[in-house]
Amino acid sequence: MTMHKAKSKTMLAGLIAAAASFCYAAHLHAQDWSYAEAAKPYAGTTIRVLDEITPLQETMRKLVPDFVEKTGIQVEYELLSHGDVINRGQADLFSGRGHYDAIMLHGLQLGPLLAAKVLQPIDELQKNTALTNPELGLDDLIEPAYESLVNHSGQQFGFLTWNYNQIYWARADLLNHPEEQAAFQTRYGYPLAPAETMQQMRDIAEFFTRKKGETLAGETLRDDFYGIVLEGIPGGTTFTTVWEVFMNNWGGGVFDADGKPRLDTPENIAALQFWADLWKFAPPGQAEYSLIDVPTVMGNGLAAQSIAFSDFVLGVDRPGGGAYAGKFVYGGIPVNAENPAIRSAGGEPSLMALSSHSKNQEATYLFMQWMVDKDTQARLMEAGGGGVPIRHSSFDLDVMREASRQSLYKAMAASLQHVQAKPKTPSFFEIDNTMGPLVQQVGIGRLTAAEALKEGQRKVLSICDSCLLTE
Amino acid sequence: MNQPASHAPASTSRPAKRISRQERVSVFWTLVLLVIAFIVLFPVLWVGSFMFRPDSAMFARPTEWLFEPTLVHFRYVIDNGFIGYLGTSFALASISTILVIVLGTPAAYAFARFQLRFRDDLFLFVLATRMAPPICMVIPFYMIFSNIGLIDTYLGLTLAYLTFNLSFYIWVMSSFCKDLPVALEEVAILEGHNRFAVFLRVVLPLLRSAIVATGMLCFIFAWNEFMFAFMLGGQNVKTLPVAVPELITTQGVRWGPMAIVGTLSLVPVMIAVFLLQKHIVRGLTMGAVKG
Amino acid sequence: MRPLENRWYPYALLAPAFLVLVVVSLVPFLFAMYLSFHQINFGRIGDFAGWSNYSRLMENERTWNSLWVAAKFILIAFPLQFILGLGGALLLNKRVWGRSVILPLLFIPTMMAPIVVGLVWKVMFAGSWGLLSYNIVERFGFLQGTSVFSSPDFALLALALVDVWQWTPFMMLAFFAGLQALPVSPYRAAAVDGATPMQMFFRLTLPLMAPLMVVIGMLRFIDAFKVFDTIYTLTAGGPGISTEVPSLLAYRMSFEQWRIGESAAFAVLVWIGFFVLCSLFYHLAKKKLNAF
Repeated sequence: MTMHKAKSKTMLAGLIAAAASFCYAAHLHAQDWSYAEAAKPYAGTTIRVLDEITPLQETMRKLVPDFVEKTGIQVEYELLSHGDVINRGQADLFSGRGHYDAIMLHGLQLGPLLAAKVLQPIDELQKNTALTNPELGLDDLIEPAYESLVNHSGQQFGFLTWNYNQIYWARADLLNHPEEQAAFQTRYGYPLAPAETMQQMRDIAEFFTRKKGETLAGETLRDDFYGIVLEGIPGGTTFTTVWEVFMNNWGGGVFDADGKPRLDTPENIAALQFWADLWKFAPPGQAEYSLIDVPTVMGNGLAAQSIAFSDFVLGVDRPGGGAYAGKFVYGGIPVNAENPAIRSAGGEPSLMALSSHSKNQEATYLFMQWMVDKDTQARLMEAGGGGVPIRHSSFDLDVMREASRQSLYKAMAASLQHVQAKPKTPSFFEIDNTMGPLVQQVGIGRLTAAEALKEGQRKVLSICDSCLLTE
Repeated sequence: MNQPASHAPASTSRPAKRISRQERVSVFWTLVLLVIAFIVLFPVLWVGSFMFRPDSAMFARPTEWLFEPTLVHFRYVIDNGFIGYLGTSFALASISTILVIVLGTPAAYAFARFQLRFRDDLFLFVLATRMAPPICMVIPFYMIFSNIGLIDTYLGLTLAYLTFNLSFYIWVMSSFCKDLPVALEEVAILEGHNRFAVFLRVVLPLLRSAIVATGMLCFIFAWNEFMFAFMLGGQNVKTLPVAVPELITTQGVRWGPMAIVGTLSLVPVMIAVFLLQKHIVRGLTMGAVKG
Repeated sequence: MRPLENRWYPYALLAPAFLVLVVVSLVPFLFAMYLSFHQINFGRIGDFAGWSNYSRLMENERTWNSLWVAAKFILIAFPLQFILGLGGALLLNKRVWGRSVILPLLFIPTMMAPIVVGLVWKVMFAGSWGLLSYNIVERFGFLQGTSVFSSPDFALLALALVDVWQWTPFMMLAFFAGLQALPVSPYRAAAVDGATPMQMFFRLTLPLMAPLMVVIGMLRFIDAFKVFDTIYTLTAGGPGISTEVPSLLAYRMSFEQWRIGESAAFAVLVWIGFFVLCSLFYHLAKKKLNAF
């Protein structure tokens, strides 16, 4: 009896000891992983990375030497403007030139690039424990942007590195003015406040559209004033805004579940009509406004509201940015009161992707991880003075709690809850080039929404009838 | 015999009255030209003022005609290395222009002076090299260049620029060459000089002003070219026009630095035009000898 | 044209330039032609495609729209810059004080990079926030409810005028150089015969300048077709596609959609069109104007 008990006791002790040492070893392994260690076989290689010029990426450029020092991997980190990073990046990938190892891509570019099979999935690299940072914390990356962006047909193609999102932007000084508030309450029957629904946004736009000589916030207007300003040029993000901010929220969209275009639906017609009706309350030149004109118009105090990309507002709402800096308030994308169950916000999650032509995949993969890990992102946000985050936890950083920016950051967080990457369609650009001019013409009143969508459906169908990338 | 040419028919009598009439005419036309120049240049002057204008004063309504100057944009331009692109642009445009002159002048002369078999076809072929829209040709060029390793090299871009500049140069120069006086050449040949020497010593000096004028235009086209420089260039070969889109950021257009870069781009060319223009005006030698 | 003894001499003069042109222009163009007959999948050369790129291109209504826009654009811009350029050259030809300063100044629009030209005019005429839009167009109530570049009726005209602003100095400089190179004796003889300035202009200046005018005219005509930067910056082809010039369409086809086969076919078709037009005009000018 005693021997049996003794044997089991020993076994138990042995088991416990084994478990303990196993845990300890695992813990040690986790502690042991470092970029320096992982990079040892690759020290001395040079990798070339192409990224887009944004204020945070300019700060990133200053942090890159830390990576180089830690790992011995030389990084040529090149920044180009929006159009250029798309053109050069795609040319490098499509032509097979492979000058760059990693390239920043916008979600909308993934359709064609995945179809051409020029991107390297990182799944195999992720399985390599020597190369993968166990503390990377990918579940901290903002959803649904991250998931919808990097995954395709069971594979993953990089990490979320830039989180463009659209927000609602309005003039706080006007919305808070007591005379205006009283007049608004009288006319519309509810209090004047930053719009939470589309219908409120429309009412506010109508309310604030005034001619020269009328009164605004207690002063006589020297020029016409407008209730809203949006992008209207046949290009840029005019159509994608109509798509993600309006059509989706009205229960419509461009594709059905099978990837077939279904543009001329009643929901889309209603959404497009709603958007086009807003043009009545917009400056007369809206048809030529691009992403850069909208902040200029807001910054010059010409309009009361807008829907714009959150990083663009920083050029205007900063000290020295103009007479109206500091007078703005922000919010997430308004919900459609007629269809509150669906929430969609405009945005363009973007990733750092690995080129399939890269000869330095492991070294590049290390850099890609370094760019998004908690430590680098925290330092990036601090050094950059805040900005658009890719991690949930970034919102808790001190720099993001800055009082003057609270309205903006809350708006970004609200908007990001509903930002999804664009569906992966190889014909994205053809569709955008087709629909852009059509929706613009509805805005300027040359076509009705129904006509434009019917025409759009016909044309898009001739481009593709099963538009989403399957394999 | 060889009188200095003048613009108005010469007359030998009544010099005093002639001077005053000419002076009167020239004051009027000078004023007209100055007014035209001001109207034409007003947009440029306005945007030029952005070099010193603080951001808040650029698009203010009502328009702020006066403002507090600032040097902050210059700081930005210097800090971001835009000055370096000036050198690249200059090197590329210069090499390209010199090549074009060396290759194109004999060809233009040959077209203008000689009766060649297939002359018309060859001449049209030269023009044909610039008939395809460059935008359509950039990607084919990129594909070829990336296969032979010419992307982001001076050689690559110089070759690419030859496509449009050489044909332009040959075509324009040949019409200037038409006015060459044959007599001088024939005399030199009769004296026993060989043809190449005649070309170098007799013809080229006569063509100097035409070469300067046309070469200057080629320099300007190379200097301002964007599409090829952008796609076929890179980190090593970055010209000023390619640097301009970098100023269109998500934070809006950096108008101040853009005005500086635009002016930076303009000044060397203006200086060159200013210095070299007397060569254009001195096309008189050809006319005088002929007369 | 003079006869020559040495047959090979002129060809020797031509040879270097031709060699370069063949390598640098002809070879890429032949490659583009090759591409136009193949299926190009995002930059990867695929199977032989026969005429399909061409037929898809010609079936695309935007192709024809762009050619029509180009025709309208050239019809407005080209005559204006030609006449104004000639007028400016004649003006400069007069005894003006300070010409050495005025000439480089007037030449600035041509010296500016096209992308900067686009941005300058955006600053001038952007709807509501442009300098002249605010101070002139809106103050005096022109263009109610729309702006210069978003007006379906005026956008193309405005773009053509920007082109005139940009390229008239070029014509002016070329014609001025030509005027400076004119022989003096015919004018002296005409003055002795009692000709008026008007007669001298039409009977002497124009015919003598004809060769240069034809050359400059043809070059500018071809180049006007290629306009891109200003359109892209100011209207992006809008309103709708009413200002979508061929280069803009080609840009979208090549750089955004990567339909390289069709873009190459477009290059070939445009080339053929210009070659036919220019050959016709060349032989006409040779006969009628003694231009070549």
